[in-house]
Formats: sequence, C-alpha cells, structure tokens
Amino acid sequence: MRRLAVTLGRAFAAAAVAVLLLALSGAAFGHSPAELLGILVSGSVGSRFALEGTLLKSVPLLLTGLSVAVAFRAGVWNIGAEGQFIVGALAGLLASRWGVAAALIASMLAGAAWASLATAMRLLRNAPEVLTTILLNFTAIHLLGWSVNGPLRESIAQYPQSDPAGVALPVLAGQVHAGLPIAVLAAIALWVLIHRTREGLRLRATGFSPNAAEWAGINVRAQLARAMAISGAVAGLAGGIELLGVTHRLFERFASGYGYSGIAVALLAQLHPLATVLSALFFGALVTGAGELQRTANISAAVATLGQALVILTLIGFEHVRRNRQSNR
Amino acid sequence: MTRNNPQFSILNPQSNILSTMTVAFAHISRSFGTNRAVDDVTLDVRGGEILALVGENGAGKTTLMSIAAGELARDSGEVRAEGRVELVHQHFMLVNEFTIAENLALTRRFRFATRRALEREALATVAAAGIELGDVSRRVGDLSVGEKSKLELIKAIGRQPATLILDEPTSVLTPREADELFAVMRRVAAAGTAVVFISHKLPEVLAVADRIVVMRAGKIVAETRASETTASALADVMVERRAPRPASRIGHGHEAGGGTTIEGVTFEGGQILAIVGVAGNGQSQLAARLRARLPSAGHIPEDRTRDGIIAEMSIAENLALRGVRNAREIITRYSIRAQDEQQKAGDLSGGNQQKVILARELDRRPHVIVAAEPTRGLDIEAARFVHEQLRDAAGNGAAVLLITSDLDEAFSLSDAIQVIYRGQLSARMTRDEAAGRVANLMAGVA
Amino acid sequence: MFDGTVKAIADAIPLAIVASTPLLLAVQGELAVQRSGIINLGIEGMMLAAALAAAFTAHATASVAAGFLGGIAGAALVALLFGLFVIVLKADQIVTGTAINLLAAGATAFIYRELHLTSALPRLAFDPIVPLAWIVFPVALALLLWNTSFGLRLRAAGENPDAIASSVRSHRALALLIEAVLAGLAGAYLSLGLSSGFAENMTSGRGFIALSIVIFGRWKVKGALAGTAIFGLAAVTQYTLQASSGLSYHLLLAVPYVLTLLILCGVAGRVRAPESLGR
Repeated sequence: MRRLAVTLGRAFAAAAVAVLLLALSGAAFGHSPAELLGILVSGSVGSRFALEGTLLKSVPLLLTGLSVAVAFRAGVWNIGAEGQFIVGALAGLLASRWGVAAALIASMLAGAAWASLATAMRLLRNAPEVLTTILLNFTAIHLLGWSVNGPLRESIAQYPQSDPAGVALPVLAGQVHAGLPIAVLAAIALWVLIHRTREGLRLRATGFSPNAAEWAGINVRAQLARAMAISGAVAGLAGGIELLGVTHRLFERFASGYGYSGIAVALLAQLHPLATVLSALFFGALVTGAGELQRTANISAAVATLGQALVILTLIGFEHVRRNRQSNR
Repeated sequence: MTRNNPQFSILNPQSNILSTMTVAFAHISRSFGTNRAVDDVTLDVRGGEILALVGENGAGKTTLMSIAAGELARDSGEVRAEGRVELVHQHFMLVNEFTIAENLALTRRFRFATRRALEREALATVAAAGIELGDVSRRVGDLSVGEKSKLELIKAIGRQPATLILDEPTSVLTPREADELFAVMRRVAAAGTAVVFISHKLPEVLAVADRIVVMRAGKIVAETRASETTASALADVMVERRAPRPASRIGHGHEAGGGTTIEGVTFEGGQILAIVGVAGNGQSQLAARLRARLPSAGHIPEDRTRDGIIAEMSIAENLALRGVRNAREIITRYSIRAQDEQQKAGDLSGGNQQKVILARELDRRPHVIVAAEPTRGLDIEAARFVHEQLRDAAGNGAAVLLITSDLDEAFSLSDAIQVIYRGQLSARMTRDEAAGRVANLMAGVA
Repeated sequence: MFDGTVKAIADAIPLAIVASTPLLLAVQGELAVQRSGIINLGIEGMMLAAALAAAFTAHATASVAAGFLGGIAGAALVALLFGLFVIVLKADQIVTGTAINLLAAGATAFIYRELHLTSALPRLAFDPIVPLAWIVFPVALALLLWNTSFGLRLRAAGENPDAIASSVRSHRALALLIEAVLAGLAGAYLSLGLSSGFAENMTSGRGFIALSIVIFGRWKVKGALAGTAIFGLAAVTQYTLQASSGLSYHLLLAVPYVLTLLILCGVAGRVRAPESLGR
C-alpha cells in the first residue's frame, strides 16, 4: 500500500506540472492561465453533463491504459493497442448477433489473437514487437477501412460505416453506459492478477529481470506470450465496449488514437492497475475539458493530446532525477 | 627467483642490452570498494622484451595493465609511460557487420575513401604487421575466433605502440594459432616494442616470455627470468599450496558408485563435488548447461545481481518465485539482516541477498544443488553461513556441485575435486590427490 | 483489362514520385538515425512540426525559401527535445518517441488555431525538392554513410558502440541533425509544396510508414528508394486500380505493411537491423 501512495504522489506531481505547462502555453498566446484552467475544470467536472462526459471518455482510456500497463509490466513493448482495439471492435460487431456478452468475449479473444501475432513473430523469428505491433496497427486500420467499405458496409450504402450492432450496452445514467463498471472491474481483476497471484509475480519478475526470472525457474518466453495475450484481450475489450456503448457502428476513424493515449495513461499510473483508474479519469477529464475549451474559448481541443505528451515527458524527467539521486547515495 | 619487488631501474644488470623503459609503475594501488585489486605495485616494462604477467583471476593483472593503458585511474602511486600503450582486451571490440577493412579503417582518420581504397589500406596495414589474414573484404562476423584475435592484434600493432599489452590472448586460440601469435610477439619485441603478455597458462608463458612476474591478491610475489624457473615452481607461487584440511563434516554418506553423470559431472547424493579453475575456463557455460538439464535442481547463479536477485521486488516476493511462502520465518532462520520481509531485495547487502537466494533454492530440499561462486564478494560471516547450508544439504542427502575459483573453499568443503581448464574437466580426485596437483592443473600444466 | 491496369500504373508514376517525396525524405532521415542506433518513433511529430513552422515562416516572410528554412528549424527543435531526452537523459526511445508525436500533434493543432493564418501562401516557382529528394540526397547520403570516416563511425555506433567508445553520442546527435534537415524539408514540402498550407495531422501517419520503409529497404539507401516507390505507387494508384480491376484499395494499402511484416519474419532472407538499434 505504501507503494501505491508513492505512485499516486508522483502521478499528482506529474499531472500538476503538465497542466501548469498547458496553462503557460495558453498564456504564451495571450490567454489568461487562470481562465484557461477554470474552463478546463468546469468543462470536465463542473456540471453533471461534464462529469458524465469525463466518465464516458475515461472508459476506453482506462482499458487501453490497462492493456499497455500489463504488457509494459512484463517488459513487452505493446504499441499495438490501437490495432487490437480495432480488431476487438470488429469481432464484437460480428458476434453481436449472439448478445452483448458474446460480443465482448469475442472482442477480447480477437484482441488477444492480434497481439499474439506479434508475439509469435518475436518468439519464432526474433522480430522486435515494437515494430511488428505498429505495423499490425496499420494493417488493422486498413482492414477496418476495407470492412466498412465492403462486406460490412451499411445496408443503405450511403456512408462508409457499418450497420449499427444488433445489441448495445445498457445505459446507466445520462451518457454513461455499462462499460464503465466493466472497465473498473477489469482494473480490479488485473490488479489482483498482477499483485496477488503467482502468475502476476512471475509476470513482474520477468519484467524486472528476465535473466533472474529464468534462473528462478520461470519460462520467460511463455510468460511474455501470456502477458501479450492478456494485454491484447484488454485492448480488444476496449474496442468492443466503445462499439457497443458509444458509437454502435464501425467507421473508418474508429480508433482515433486511444491506443497511443493508453501509453500516457499507463505511464502516469506508473503501470499500477488501480492507479490507472485515476489516471484514466484525469485524462478523460482533460479531453472533456479541452472540448469545452474549444467551444467557449476557441482553443484547439488538441491541447488534451499536448497534455498527454507533457505528462509523459515530465515523468521521464522525474525518473531521471530519481535515478541520479539513487546513484549519488 | 626473487620474491621481492624489483628495483625501479633502467639498466637491468641481468640483461646485456640497455633496454628502454616504456612503462614504469611506482607504488601503484587501486581498489574497487573494499577490494584491493592492485596493492603497492612497483614494476617496469621494457622495450625489446616479452614480459609475462601471471596469476589467478583477481590477482590484479588486468587492472594493473588497464592503468598503464590509461583506461583506469589509479588510487595512489605514479605511472609513467613513454610512447603509446595499446591494450588488446580479452573480449573483442569489433563491428561484426563490417568487413576487416572497415574495422581497420575505424582506427584511422580519413575523409573519404572508396571501398577499394579502404581494402588497399587494410592490406598494407596487415602486411606491415607481418600477420596473415587473407581476404580483407570479408565480414568480421564470418571470421573464426582466431582470425578475429589476429585482427585485434593488427589493429593494435597498426597504431605503432611503444608498449603492446595482450590480455589472455590465447584463451580462444588453437595451439597452432597460439604459435603464430607467439611468432608475431617475438618479432614485435625484436623490433623494440615492449610486449606484455597476461596469462594464467604456464606452459605458454615459459615458451615465449623473457621475464615473468607473478601476481597474487594484488601484489607482485615473484619475478624471474623464464630460463631460470619451471612451471611447477611458478604454479606454487601463483596458487598458494594447500595442505588438505581435515574433514569438517560429520556423517557424510559415501555412496560408492551410485551417482549420475551429467555434462561430465558425476552427482553423488550426500557428497560435495568442487569444480575449481581460474575464472573464464568454461565454468559459466557449464553452469548454464546444467541449469537447462536440471530445471528442478537448486541453482545458485554466479552473478548475484544480474541472475539471482530481483532487486525491485521484496524479499518475500523473491522467495515466492520458487514457492517459498514463510518469508518471516526464513529471515529469522537464515539471520537475514532486513527491516522486514517487504523490504526490497536490492537494498540488502550482498551477503544477505545471497542468503535470500540460498533460502529460495534450498528450502524445498532439492536432490541436486549447483552453486556457482556462492561466496563471491561475501564477508567471512556470510561465507561461513553459505558453507554451513551447503554442508547441511549434503548431510541430508543432496548431491552438491560447487563451482569455485576459491581453493580454500573447495578444499574445506568438498569430498572430491575436479579441475576445469579450457572447458575440459580433469579426472575426479580426492582431496589428498588434488592437493598436490590442483595448482598445475589449473595452470594447464599436466 | 490488364492493359488498363498497366496504363493506369504507368500514368500514375510521375504523380507518385511527387506525392511521395516527403515520405522519401523522411525515410532517408530515419535511415541515418537508425543506422546510428536510435529508433525515432517521433519522426511523425518532427514532420508535423516542420509543416507548421514552414507555413508560419512563409506566411510571415512572404518567401517560400524562408518557409523551407523555417520548416527545418521546426524539425530541429523537435530533434533537440528528442535528443535531450534520449541521448542526454538516456530515456527510453520508444516512450520518448511516442510522447514527441503526441506533443507535436497537440502543439501544432493548438498553435495553428492561435495563429490565424488566413492569407494564401506564396507558391513554389519551380520545384527543386523532387530532384533533391530522389537523386541528390540519396547519392549524398549513401556516400556519406558508406564512404566517409564519419559515416563509418556513425554505423559503428549503431552496430557495436564499444568499438568507438568515445564518440557515440556525438555521432548519434549528428544523425538526428541530418534527420531534422530531411524531415524539415519533408514537412515544409507537405505544407508549402503539396498543399496550400497547414492542416491538422496533415502528415497522416507518413512517419510510421517511413519507419516501415526503412525496415523494408533493409536500412539501405537503395532499399529506401525502392520501398518508397512501391508504397507511393500503391497509395496513388488506389483509385485507378479500384476502377479498372475491382480490387479493394483498402486491402492494397495494407499490402506494404504486410510485406514489411513478412520481411521482419525473415521471409525474404535474413533481415538484420543495426545490432545496437534501440539500446
């Protein structure tokens, strides 16, 4: 638990620095930092509508964040959450005729399979997963493009999008759908897996030191494969939930960067599954608040993306300072 | 044979020529933490002479020469070098993807060159060094180990040093390649270069060196001309002769011929077999092969920080990797100095980390235990604890393999001893048999 | 029908060359950097920053030439940030590259909105960039990397840094500088040459495509040219091919990536990345 406190402390500091830098950037172009921060806050948590928007946006971020966190924890570079998200949604759409549960399970299996393609290439042919996962992202994007323009195209054939899925996730309140509790459950389940089970112990050991893990009797290759599969499954689930809860249809720009944003979410949470919930809420708030910024102050909503980058860079800076302080002891 | 430090002098009364001093060490010392790697060494290196620097691993030879080459700083004392000092390391510093010609080009300054020009330059450099290397357009990664060694040598000679230091150059060479190397060394020395040859292999040293200096535990313990000594005498000084210690274990069960042989090592329940040798003679490879063949055995890895302990995880978690759950009880039983079982393993001292590894591997009472350098870097108390654990395990019937370069340890713990040299294991000897022969076997003397 | 396909492809070649010029520049820049041992995922962000910087500078100075210099400056700024984190702070290259991309995407969209660049940008009188990108730079880069001492040491930094211990960092930094110049020109050409100004996310993944092509071309200049030609042709002929042969252009767009994946799996001979890439 002490570890969780330290993690949260560092996360708060990084988030605060990033928001500060955002405010300063606004100031550089003549906006009042205080006003900017005010709109960010009110637009994200200032009203019931805003709060719902924040919760809504946090769901895919939480899941892609968890996906990246699990993989990174095992020492695997899964940059493929974007592609696994898409493939998950595709499978979810196809399986939706058998109900919500079937669709979500299908999306997890598809995500796991897509990630395992990269694992197979690494274990059998030594292809670096950092490159193969990115290539698979693009393959998935074009697979999606082909699907919604071809076989899955809507019956009226007007736009390049699919028909709506036959089922949908039940709505809980306002904009918030049942995907939220599912995502939070996933976070808890992953926390239990990583921090309270033998498998999780082995996974973390492999991430810290593959050599020592091998010497302690762990089959490192099998461990990496399992970690990637779990990571892909969670990202696939994210896609399935986004489909069945929010968009209901598939279209060309379906993923829109959730996979890459997941990296920022995971890093801010320092790869801790429970902290990822808070991290996703932060970034969800940032996205929602930035939307408000664009509406009221005509500042590009892309500052949310800028905020993600600033958080990562700040964390790297903290890590460097910490490493230096350790070696000087 | 002189056992005291030689005089710091240019005129050597024992030689007939006025030789030029190229490197002079005066009271050089260097420590790494608490380990005095080089301890008050005074030595001079002379041109036109092949000086062999002999000793076990950890004797300080490489450290001393690294100081000469300017790659390592000294703690105290003075070192003076006249002319360039080139040190050819044990491990290759070549670019495998480049051709021979390109690797040689890395040592030169040039602006622009075509591939053919580089190859012409390379051929000239190779010829000037008087070494045969063949087609210089070949990829270095495709070369044999012997050819790579030659390339490193050519690189060094090409820089026309006043002092050429070769660190264990024959460890990867065939006998014929070694002979070629010696011919080059003689030629280079005859041309006036000072050649220093670091080795633990006495037959070679006697064959090629003019002067021999023996180091042990950071100090120079002997200096002599090669013509005035024998391999046996050198081995005696290199490795302190040991009398067999009385058996300090009680009740060890000798199972006459009941053991299983794996990778040339015979495991007998209840016995401790020690494999001794100078580090770098195949011990790591043997341990790795045994780990692959015996996954359920208890393995104590040689490199504690890289392969043994996971620093970022707690003591309890490290133990749990092998299913050991009672962390608190282990901490008490093994007297591990730690705040509690949640403390990060990386914060513990080396000795306490080793205790965690021991607990993790031995607690489940494996039938076979392979311990590689288990007391390396530990203080006396921790080392004694490790020995106790290994003895207890053997007393309970386990077959223990101890791989070590510490002869004291080997002789006080083991029932039988084998020596490893260049990847080959000697015959199995009792401690009495080994007492007389181990020094020679470790140094490659039959 | 087959004749129609061949003609369609042949007609598309000049267009493909021009349209894939930014991609080719990016590929060459990333090639130099990867040869030195660094993997720069952030090249996408570099080009995007250059595109905006070029548009802004051209607008402010009413000069296209100044615009291109501005583009280089923009890319250099990003390269400086990346180099600071990766070379000096020794941060992880993948994470930093991803952050750089996010940074550029967010910052350029934000800044563009604040700048309110409305008036039309000056156009290029003639186009020197295409011959530069397709002829001059490839020759120069190949000569630099394979026939000079600097290039030899740069490649050594990517294979076995121990072999040239002292100058690894400086060679990698200079490689990043080369990439900045090339990516800067690429981004500038995007906004000033191929489009009439900046648009959010106008690089559309070209940086990642460039990464793929570097691998596809096995980290060689000739491979870079061939790979870009293939990718470029595929992208441009998508429409015409769809009409004449019914093949879905989306699947066609996926083909280059699948090919690169196959290459990474060693299907067409052993693929060897620079030994120390990413470490």
